Amino acid sequence: MLLAGSSRRLVAELRDALDSCAERQRQLERSLRVSRRLLRAWEPAETLAPEPTPGPETNEEAPSAACAPSPQDLKELELLTQALEKAVRVRKGISKAGEGDKAPSLKFGSIATSPATRASAPPSTSRRAGSRASETEPPRGIRQTRVPAKDLPEHRLLSVGDQACMGQGAGATKPESGLRNEQIVLSAASQAPEAFTLKDKGILLQLPEAFRKASSRNSRLWAQLSSTQTSDSVDAATTAKMQFLQKMQTTSGWPGSRLSATEVEAEVRHLQKACLLLRLRMGEELTADPKDWMQEYRCLLTLEELQAIVGQCLHRLRELCTAVVEQQLGPWPEGRFPRASLPCGGEADPIWSPQLLLYSSTQELQTLASLRLRVAMLHQQIYLEKVLMAELLPLVSKQEPLGPPWLALCRAVHSLLCEGGQRFLTILREDKPAD
Amino acid sequence: MGRRRRRRRVDPADAARALPEAIAALSQTLPAGPSPETFRRAKFDRPEAAPAFWRLLFCVLSPQPPNGASASFSPEAQVRSVKLALRTQGYPRRALAQLPDDGSQGGRELLLALAWLLAREPLPERLLAQNRVQLGDEMHVCECEALASPGPPAPSVEADGCVDIRHLQWLMGKLRFRWRNLMASQQEQCALLGKIHSYTRGCHSDRSLGHLSVTETELLRDPEGGRQLLRRLQRENARLQAALEWRRRELVFWQWMDTVLDACPPEASQPTFLPRIPTPGAGALEPLVRELQALQGELREAVEARREAWEAGVGGRGPEWSAVRTALREAVGQDLAALRRACERSGSLAQPHGPRRLVRTEAGAPRGPGLRAPEVIEALRSREAHLEVVLRRLQGQCRQELARLVGALPGLVWILPPGR
Repeated sequence: MLLAGSSRRLVAELRDALDSCAERQRQLERSLRVSRRLLRAWEPAETLAPEPTPGPETNEEAPSAACAPSPQDLKELELLTQALEKAVRVRKGISKAGEGDKAPSLKFGSIATSPATRASAPPSTSRRAGSRASETEPPRGIRQTRVPAKDLPEHRLLSVGDQACMGQGAGATKPESGLRNEQIVLSAASQAPEAFTLKDKGILLQLPEAFRKASSRNSRLWAQLSSTQTSDSVDAATTAKMQFLQKMQTTSGWPGSRLSATEVEAEVRHLQKACLLLRLRMGEELTADPKDWMQEYRCLLTLEELQAIVGQCLHRLRELCTAVVEQQLGPWPEGRFPRASLPCGGEADPIWSPQLLLYSSTQELQTLASLRLRVAMLHQQIYLEKVLMAELLPLVSKQEPLGPPWLALCRAVHSLLCEGGQRFLTILREDKPAD
Repeated sequence: MGRRRRRRRVDPADAARALPEAIAALSQTLPAGPSPETFRRAKFDRPEAAPAFWRLLFCVLSPQPPNGASASFSPEAQVRSVKLALRTQGYPRRALAQLPDDGSQGGRELLLALAWLLAREPLPERLLAQNRVQLGDEMHVCECEALASPGPPAPSVEADGCVDIRHLQWLMGKLRFRWRNLMASQQEQCALLGKIHSYTRGCHSDRSLGHLSVTETELLRDPEGGRQLLRRLQRENARLQAALEWRRRELVFWQWMDTVLDACPPEASQPTFLPRIPTPGAGALEPLVRELQALQGELREAVEARREAWEAGVGGRGPEWSAVRTALREAVGQDLAALRRACERSGSLAQPHGPRRLVRTEAGAPRGPGLRAPEVIEALRSREAHLEVVLRRLQGQCRQELARLVGALPGLVWILPPGR
């Protein structure tokens, strides 16, 4: 059994580790969901489930349907738009008369036979739809049809955008019939061309104009922000800032260079990293095999130099300790502020816009990602190992009764500390041989 | 007056406008920025300015993105949180700590605090970078996130009684299982990313990127989401523009802040309270001290042993010896220069930092700007090897220690599990 104090800390640390793992997993799952969905066939609308409706509608649509180059897409687009406009009119008619599904199918048939008059249809529909739905949405959807759709994505934008409009318009009255109209239209539209898959038609995609503009403006602005680090006005401002800080310090009544908690933490983290680096370098030197006396001497010099650096680190750490102890906290509220996300890139000139990481094959990407995870996992394992060592080893040495429970404890501690909890040793008791 | 006019063709109307415009740019780039008029009121310590500034400081200092989280904090909680954050960062003025918790006073002091934060670091840029709209598929190449986790965990565990060591073993096993799952999910995600990137090659308007990212493809699949993304992007652009404006005009703000500081009564030079007990930070330093001392001890032993061997063996060799020795010393100094720099200067790591956008290129493509995956893989492999060495060493230490503790017992045979 463990003492209460150490068990609390150990369980808390392990739970912490488990939680951070779970958080990573959650984030990964989110990304996976999105990626999987992208690689499946794209549904025309997320909110409606297209019902398969056989019959004359699809046959009417079939001749004009094509799963091939753009001119056909254009035609589809026209037909779809008209069908949707018709659906709005029909739904309005249904809501007034309270009819069933018959009407839409008839109207639908007539749509297919009269593909012209695109110009005339939109204004009337927009007025009618606009009177019920929100002002901006239907006109926007219809206006988009005026832009010649060169490629599929805008087609997608249109169809779903119109669905959204229609969906909102239908909200108030007779949702089922309205929905079914749209479903009929949709299923016809979706059955007619092939469903869009990234694999086949990904190359045809094109980002919308507004987005492209905003995105390039965004990267331009970020680049400008990174480059305004050096100029005359900046220098004047920097001097003014330094002076302001000094004045704040002198008028505040605190003693001069006091270290803040954040700075102490940052310094400690830095020294931890330094310790790791130094230890690794020492390991390299100790395991190296000097072939001649020059290498031997060089090794000696390196170790001496490392010793000096460690001494300096220790000195700085001791200074930190005294600074922390001497700090006068005053009337500030107690407690530690939750540490913000680590300021990655805390050097002099951080580059604000993201830079690129180029890879050339999926294999490479997978190797990279798995190595990253492995390094993170090793960091965690080392940390936990130290925590476990600090708590468990004293336990084994303190316990006096050397009976079976203690042996079990030793076995468990050995497995946890020396084998990562994966393997166990065996203890055999030697019995006195019977005489 | 005349001299100034000769030096710069500034007419007084422009000068009068410069400050409010600078402040307007500042408050547009910050989240929850108050109006220039509020800033002016704060200088004169008017009470109506205080709540706006408490809110602003809370948004700026709290670690989470300021969308919905701030709603859950009451005004008093916000005030306390701001005070705590400023103290953690070492804010020098005590007057702020003495402000009442209901957030009704302190406009001028809060204005000073804001200026202090702005002077110490590029605050608007950092905030913008933290809440950046991510358009690409990003990956961190540094280990900052890996090293961030260790810290005293919250003692909110219900294990108030004794805990069986088998529970610990179970938790460790669960952890191992979670890591395995994580690895598998990560591999799948990379495979999917690779596919998406290769299926959309040539679609991006930006030639250096070449293909679409998941976010960009998603916005094509889901136009409504795309519209929201576009709105967020446009809002960010506005804030970026404001930040650039601020950088151009900030000098006049600092001149004004000088006058604000002058308007404050000076603080007492002697603190009138007793020093408290050391912060938990001092405790966290102990393990590191021990580690460094242990390292120092090991190095001392190694150095002594080798020096003895050296003296006993060949020793110095004749006249050329001193020249050779100097040369070797220099070589070692150069060798270790990078390491020395990394250990001395706080916060300077020679590694690349920050998130990077993943871009798939053809293997033979000309080298563009950006880090290449094979280099990162190399670095990570050597990191992995080093860390494994450290872990094995720790485990070896444990093995020795345990052997020492149980070794004295007669009548027991310890059979270790088959080694690697």
